[in-house]
Amino acid sequence: MYGKKASELVKECVSAEPGQLTTFNNDLFAQVIEECNGHLLHLQPLMRKIQEHENKLKDKRRSEDEMAISEDERRKSEAEKTVIQTAMKSDQFGALIHHLSLVRNKRCLMAYVYNRAEVIKSLGWVVDCVLPEEIEEKLSSSEKEYFKNHAATLQSYTSELDLDLTVDMVPPKDPYIKVRVLDDIGEIVLSDQVANLTRHAMLFLRRTDAEQYISQGLMEELAG
Amino acid sequence: MAKYYDVDDILAEEELVPAVFQHTANGIGLFDSSDDTNKVEAGSKVELPFWLVCELYLRQLVSIRVPPCFDKESKTREEIGADAAHVDLRSRCPYFYELGCKIAPLIGDKTIGPFLLVAFRIRYKEVLIKAHTLTLAVAPKYLTLLTNEEAKLYEAGQSSIAAFKKWRMGGPRLQIAPLLGRKRKPTG
Repeated sequence: MYGKKASELVKECVSAEPGQLTTFNNDLFAQVIEECNGHLLHLQPLMRKIQEHENKLKDKRRSEDEMAISEDERRKSEAEKTVIQTAMKSDQFGALIHHLSLVRNKRCLMAYVYNRAEVIKSLGWVVDCVLPEEIEEKLSSSEKEYFKNHAATLQSYTSELDLDLTVDMVPPKDPYIKVRVLDDIGEIVLSDQVANLTRHAMLFLRRTDAEQYISQGLMEELAG
Repeated sequence: MAKYYDVDDILAEEELVPAVFQHTANGIGLFDSSDDTNKVEAGSKVELPFWLVCELYLRQLVSIRVPPCFDKESKTREEIGADAAHVDLRSRCPYFYELGCKIAPLIGDKTIGPFLLVAFRIRYKEVLIKAHTLTLAVAPKYLTLLTNEEAKLYEAGQSSIAAFKKWRMGGPRLQIAPLLGRKRKPTG
């Protein structure tokens, strides 16, 4: 059935957890494009045939106009015309189905790329320029490029404004928060201290310092 | 066009609708026909996806029958009438409401609209109650009855309860980005 593969591609988008990415399905993507080419190959001869039928009809009409023909011949040519017209209609019908399938496939492909791009765009707000490995391997090469450019744009805008737009929107009650380190990060120079962030360490950090580590999953905030 | 990129809208249009070809169509191998003509004869009965049927129907190239779940004489209508909340709509049509809304104006069946409304009203109430009360152990069984839209409402109900609890009890405000998942790196 036409358009089946394209819908599988879209289903992949839906089945992923909201906000998560699945691996870019190069294989299926190429198959859908292949299917589109197939439609085009079918479509072209049909269009040619329709054109031929139209020309034939035109010729018939012209010859009728030019020559005075008997009643009998007129009836015969009428019958021929209807035959041509039905054949043309069948061709048009077939062409229409191919056309609609093409449009449909296009929509599915576009939606697949678009919805992934939306997720990738939101990535730019939570991780700084460098993608974690497990996400990067899920992207296609053009998506990687897209992410890089988007993150760069965001950064240049932030530096122009001289305001970090990625921080939490709600003003904190306390500038310091208690965090637990989940991974060995090592010695890091923070805005107010030099901290050795080893795994399982619990410490008070400036909220603004901690925020990026938390969103990257390297720390967690301890309540209370 | 507003829904051009909407994946749910795309998948709703993938649902099959029974149709009958009114004209012969050339050059399409829709059904793996054994002969080489690649032709579909007039009068062939087929199930086509809605996106195709819709356009063909408007040009009067095919005639359509209402899908079984919306049919007046169908079991689904009777079951909805009897106890809407416990009908397994997912197995019949996961995009029950979306497809219903699309197909009703197309074929001009005035009874579909009220039918959908009744079904949704009764089921919505049940979905909300269940979203607040079901334990995790029973929930998967209930979820298999729901259409796509209802499952979303169910999740929305649950997440709003979770958000309410968090607001009341207080909790950490900063969290790992949802995109990165909750996976922690293995120890050592």
